[in-house]
Amino acid sequence: MLQCIFLLSDSGEIMLEKQLTGHRVDRSICDWFWNQAISQGDSFKQQPVIASPTHYLFQILREGITFLACTQVEMPPLMAIEFLCRVADVLSDYLEGLNEDLIKDNFVIVYELLDEMIDNGFPLTTEPNILREMIAPPNIVSKMLSVVTGNSSNVSDTLPGATASCVPWRTTDIKYANNEVYVDLVEEMDAIINRDGALVKCEIYGEVKVNSHITGVPELTLSFTNPSILNDVRFHPCVRFRPWESHQILSFVPPDGQFKLMSYRVKKLKSIPIYVKPQLTSDAGTCRINLMVGIKNDPGKTIDSITVQFQLPPSILSADLTSNHGVVNILSNKMCTWSIDRIPKDRTPSLSGTMVLETGVERLHVFPIFQLGFRIQGVALSGLQIDKLELKVVPNRLYKGFRASTRGGLYEVRS
Amino acid sequence: MFPQFGATAETLSKASTIMFRIGTDAHLYDDPEDVNIAPLLDSKFDSEKCEALKRLLALIAQGFDVSNFFPQVVKNVASQSLEVKKLVYLYLLHYAEKRPNEALLSINSFQKDLGDTNPLVRAWALRTMAGIRLHVIAPLVLVAVGKCARDPSVYVRKCAANALPKLHDLQQEEHSSTIEEIVGMLLSDHSPGVVGAAAAAFNSICPNNYSLIGRNYRRLCEVLPDVEEWGQIVLIGILLRYAIARHGLVKKSIMFSLHGKESPQSEKDSSDVEFSLEKDNGTMDWKYNSELASLVSRCYIEGPDEYLSRSSYGNRMFSEFHDYKFISAKSNDNLMILLHCTSPLLWSNNSAVVLAAAGVHWIMAPREDVKRIVKPLLFLLRSSSSSKYVVLCNIQVFAKAMPSLFAPHFEDFFIISSDSYQIKALKLEILCSITTESSISSIFKEFQDYVRDPDRRFAADTVAAIGLCAQRLPKMANTFLEGLLALTRQELLTSEFGSIEGEAGVLVQVLTSIKSIIKQDPPDHEKVVIQVVHSLDEIKVPAARAIVIWMMGEYSNLGEMLPRMVTTVLKYLAWSFPSEALETKLQILNTSVKVLLGAKEEDLWTSKKVVSYVLELAEVDLNYDVRDRARFLKKIVSSKLGSQEVKDDMIYPPQKEDLPHVLAECILRAQTQQLSLEPINYRIYLPGSLSQIVLHAAPGYEPLPKPCSVLHDEHSPETNKLGEGTDGSGSLSGSSDEETVSDYSSERSVTDSDGDDGSDETGSASENGNDVDPLIQVSDIGDTHINQNGVPQSASTDLGEMMSKRALESWLDEQPDMSNPSASGQSQVHRSSARISIKDIGSRVKPKSYELLDPANGNGLKVDYSFSSEISSISPLLVGVEVSFENRSTENISEVTLVDEESNKASDSAECSLTSHSDVPVLVPMEDITFLEPGQRTKRTLHVRFHHHLLPLKLALYCNGKKLSVKLRPDIGYFVKPLPMEVEAFTDKESHLRGMFEYVRSCTFTHHIEELNKDKEMGDMLTRDKILLVCETIAVQMLSNANVFLVSVDMPVAANLDDASGLCLRFSSEILSNSIPCLITITAEGKCIEPLNISIKVNCEETVFGLNLLNRIVNFLS
Repeated sequence: MLQCIFLLSDSGEIMLEKQLTGHRVDRSICDWFWNQAISQGDSFKQQPVIASPTHYLFQILREGITFLACTQVEMPPLMAIEFLCRVADVLSDYLEGLNEDLIKDNFVIVYELLDEMIDNGFPLTTEPNILREMIAPPNIVSKMLSVVTGNSSNVSDTLPGATASCVPWRTTDIKYANNEVYVDLVEEMDAIINRDGALVKCEIYGEVKVNSHITGVPELTLSFTNPSILNDVRFHPCVRFRPWESHQILSFVPPDGQFKLMSYRVKKLKSIPIYVKPQLTSDAGTCRINLMVGIKNDPGKTIDSITVQFQLPPSILSADLTSNHGVVNILSNKMCTWSIDRIPKDRTPSLSGTMVLETGVERLHVFPIFQLGFRIQGVALSGLQIDKLELKVVPNRLYKGFRASTRGGLYEVRS
Repeated sequence: MFPQFGATAETLSKASTIMFRIGTDAHLYDDPEDVNIAPLLDSKFDSEKCEALKRLLALIAQGFDVSNFFPQVVKNVASQSLEVKKLVYLYLLHYAEKRPNEALLSINSFQKDLGDTNPLVRAWALRTMAGIRLHVIAPLVLVAVGKCARDPSVYVRKCAANALPKLHDLQQEEHSSTIEEIVGMLLSDHSPGVVGAAAAAFNSICPNNYSLIGRNYRRLCEVLPDVEEWGQIVLIGILLRYAIARHGLVKKSIMFSLHGKESPQSEKDSSDVEFSLEKDNGTMDWKYNSELASLVSRCYIEGPDEYLSRSSYGNRMFSEFHDYKFISAKSNDNLMILLHCTSPLLWSNNSAVVLAAAGVHWIMAPREDVKRIVKPLLFLLRSSSSSKYVVLCNIQVFAKAMPSLFAPHFEDFFIISSDSYQIKALKLEILCSITTESSISSIFKEFQDYVRDPDRRFAADTVAAIGLCAQRLPKMANTFLEGLLALTRQELLTSEFGSIEGEAGVLVQVLTSIKSIIKQDPPDHEKVVIQVVHSLDEIKVPAARAIVIWMMGEYSNLGEMLPRMVTTVLKYLAWSFPSEALETKLQILNTSVKVLLGAKEEDLWTSKKVVSYVLELAEVDLNYDVRDRARFLKKIVSSKLGSQEVKDDMIYPPQKEDLPHVLAECILRAQTQQLSLEPINYRIYLPGSLSQIVLHAAPGYEPLPKPCSVLHDEHSPETNKLGEGTDGSGSLSGSSDEETVSDYSSERSVTDSDGDDGSDETGSASENGNDVDPLIQVSDIGDTHINQNGVPQSASTDLGEMMSKRALESWLDEQPDMSNPSASGQSQVHRSSARISIKDIGSRVKPKSYELLDPANGNGLKVDYSFSSEISSISPLLVGVEVSFENRSTENISEVTLVDEESNKASDSAECSLTSHSDVPVLVPMEDITFLEPGQRTKRTLHVRFHHHLLPLKLALYCNGKKLSVKLRPDIGYFVKPLPMEVEAFTDKESHLRGMFEYVRSCTFTHHIEELNKDKEMGDMLTRDKILLVCETIAVQMLSNANVFLVSVDMPVAANLDDASGLCLRFSSEILSNSIPCLITITAEGKCIEPLNISIKVNCEETVFGLNLLNRIVNFLS
């Protein structure tokens, strides 16, 4: 079981330490960790499980903050990592973001949350809805109140009813004047287009997000018109397994508020909405680049927020890039971003320019990989469709809403 | 600390967020000490207390030691405000271990909170109380946990389950059976939320106590989907272990493959399955993974360290595995139900749950069903990059043992640019092991893309992977070679200036891969060799040059073209020799000699010339390795060279041809063997374990139990008493040991690991622990054997001294007059006249004797000890112990002595501050007993300084020159000495020790009934007053078990003779070590002839001591 959790800032400062068991972990482990991280560079920071001389360390990195957990005995490493991810999720949910200052400013809440989330190294309450009832998130009102009165308590003095019920993710006594339930299909398209311009892999990673505000303990069933296209699925604990096994119907009692009902994957898709055509030629120490982006298969809705990102190869000294549409930005770490937003009707956006190679290098041998980002509102590219959403007991005044959107996920074009 | 990171970002964001920081705790974190914290803590406003506590927390977060505020913080524990409480708890948990004495001040408040109506308050109190981890309060915590485990609130019960491992951590053996009992109770809780936490507790307390699981196995399986996610992870592991230990392995599962080799029938079975799964895989492939699969299953059961060390002797005999029972999953409901209940968990949102469930299927499911874990596992790859890495590590093992599983899903292992190097390398390795002929073309295309990856280390790995794939799929070798050659050309172009780091590595790897492919079938690839040798001039990297030169020497006789060009190349090498790097020089030497040995007639002369030239150059090289090599080779090939100094040897030309030549042939030209696939020596641990990721057995890692090692059927009576249940486990593991011993005699048995140290004590403890309050197990272990010969006399004299006359006067024989109105009308404290004789009560005071050494263990030497009330003259810290030695054997025993085993044990106990008087010896040495005849009995008085009034002291007993270690268990009743005082002084003192220094417990007193019955039998009912008898019995019990002074006896005034209500006895004493007075008051209620309810009150400033003393008194009175 976990013995200690540290939160480190991106400069290696220990912002918080929370000892979990009687086997204390000295802070010096963080110094060891940070020295290693400096001497070994990025590859160390990307190692999720590290065997230090005294402890096993698990780390995740979120928004520059390293969550470090220590143990000395055998335990499932995924459990530790998953837990740290949950902590990070909960914190960024509570603090509306995650950075060094937010954590320092709200360190008491972070302590209280950690104390509630893990007991003796074993997770205790991790359900966000329950946590919210036990420890109130900081908000403008409470902040103002504390300025005015100098007094604020964010610790609830009663135990949320859900901890005792058989649906531990939901409190029982919820009342709304207007009952609403919204279902969002949020999809991300992952694709790999190889050097020859062939589509190697194209799949959708999707989530069904539900935002429910319904009185009482509602029983919901959600069904799809074409569930057979789903390749893999994962469910929120509220989903009952049996109806899905037999009829592919989602039957559940929802938590109150926003939550992720399920995530799914649709594999082996054949069409991509946008093409990217890179051309690179290099000779005698210079390299010419030409990049074209256009619509390949029109999804029927407007595609916006199109961006192309790529890392210039290390052998490039300088680059002079221009585009006929959108903005090109090159950061000091040679990361180049081309923001196109929408594709204009009259012309095909293209980016071109020359790049100077390092002296001694005649031709380019390492080629950039282009990452495409985009957003399409109102359509789920996987083709998944919701058939119907039913409530067992329909409350008066119920509003049901459905939405869909697709974003570029791990969408890569190699050159 | 490291200003180069994000310094500017920090200042920027500070400026921008200053607005949002209003109203948060920012100022507290930034300058926690800008105000004086101490007065705030004492403030009467909760808000100020909160602020002070927050400042302290900020200091803790920043790593400062603020434990000096402990006393002030502890005071606030009784606050009504939940926020203050929570903050105090956070502080307490951080520092309690450092300040055990002050932490104890909070106990009363916890005790109070445990009775609160708000479940949240109860849960917090329990969590904190267990979390402060002090040995001394362990008994109290245990009671609290026991109570909370029956709490109506699920949340509180869950916290109770979580508190159990905290108690277990304190390693107090005497509680272990009670703890296990509570674990068992919580495991059968009706709320799934509790079961999850109980499973976690089970895992860390008694992972091998299969009887607890056996009782609930089916129910636990069924409840599994409803248990909360974290509990699921642990529970899955527990159920898997139990199922294997109880029911064995499943036929046709991956674990079965090792067995499949033995019997032809099953061989056919399993290979059928295999082939149906991967139709296009070669037979070689099948063999490969079956060997691996057997390695996998073996590692799971034995642990790789053990298995690999055994197999390194070349002994891979499977004989001892013959006895594993394999059962078909379809026929066994118990296994089916586990598989059935874990399969929906493959859809869980928690990746750890998915992996754990996949592990169960991997080990237990029949081969054809294993494939259902594939998609869920692959889906996990879309989660965070940290979990991706862990999942890939596990998939790697699965894919190696059963490539057919993942072969159709190769696309999922394609690399994306955001993957870290570790992930890329893992994906590459998996791709390598799952390639099939149908997928190789796509995979090879991918590889060609990877070669241009900006990460050159990864590019080099890719090239190596191509080489590996070619070995697995020889048909593709030509395609691969073409690709590699193209790559060489390209690499040569780019690395022309040698400027780019990492390119060299890629080039070397390309050539290594080419070499390994050629090695498989040299005649086929003659042209490739020629091509490579042609480019020798352009290859600048020494390591790469060395490889090419090696290839030239190795294949110099191959085909038509090569032998012809060899001499030319050799000349070129000889020319460039002086400017080469070390490894190239060595390789040139080797190669030139190889060429010479294989040279045909027409080239012989040239070769000789070149070789002698090179050798001469090498002999004067700066590097000694090169010089040595040259000399060695020169000697070996001297005959062939026909060298300059040969004159004498010319007479025996045939002989000269012989030895060195053969030697040279052997060394340099022996046909390189086609290396079979290297022996598989992967370290494989259970799927999902930490050990599998770090590739060594982490502490606490346990391989799977031996199949069917638990033979006992535990399903039987559910009503089985828990105490018996734990006993059962002891005998169970014992019997299973016997079962397994014949089969696996050389191996450590898994099942006995929980047995030995726990079972004997827990056994005896649970005997009397069944119906008695668990607290009494503190020191009541061992025989309550009463020594009849010597002890009573000495005790009675001691008592005579100890009980002052004054005290005994109050004990009077005047009870017949008690109903006398004049007497009862007065203050009940003072009574006079009649008296009981000292002997009367003294003779009945018998200090309890405990066994130190059983004659069975000590070759007939029996050693008992009892605590004496004599106060040591050497130091007040020493407790007098009377030890009696008796020789029960028929032989003489000589040189008996008792010494302290290790004197520094105290330093790691948390309470060392209590007894850190290191100048006092642990044991005042006793005189040796030089000789003990059969049947002889001797006594010695020891003065012992216990480290703690609850912890046993380890002593070493020497007899006949042998050392036996024994444990001396302290009796808290003798850590005090009588403190004579008047009853007024008593009441006065008592009034000063109210509140948190006062502890009360009650119990039922029954000892007097025995006495009454005895009297009845004797028929002299009338002569003795019942109340007096009760008084006497209580006093005797007290005085026989504790070294206290009887201050007074208050008699009830009631008219009813039978009613003992109001009877009150007062005893006083002071603690030996610090002379703090300790007052004991016993009041009785009820009828004389019935069991009495007595309540015992202890007033003592030393909280812990008082509590423990109270528990001890309750223990011996009830």
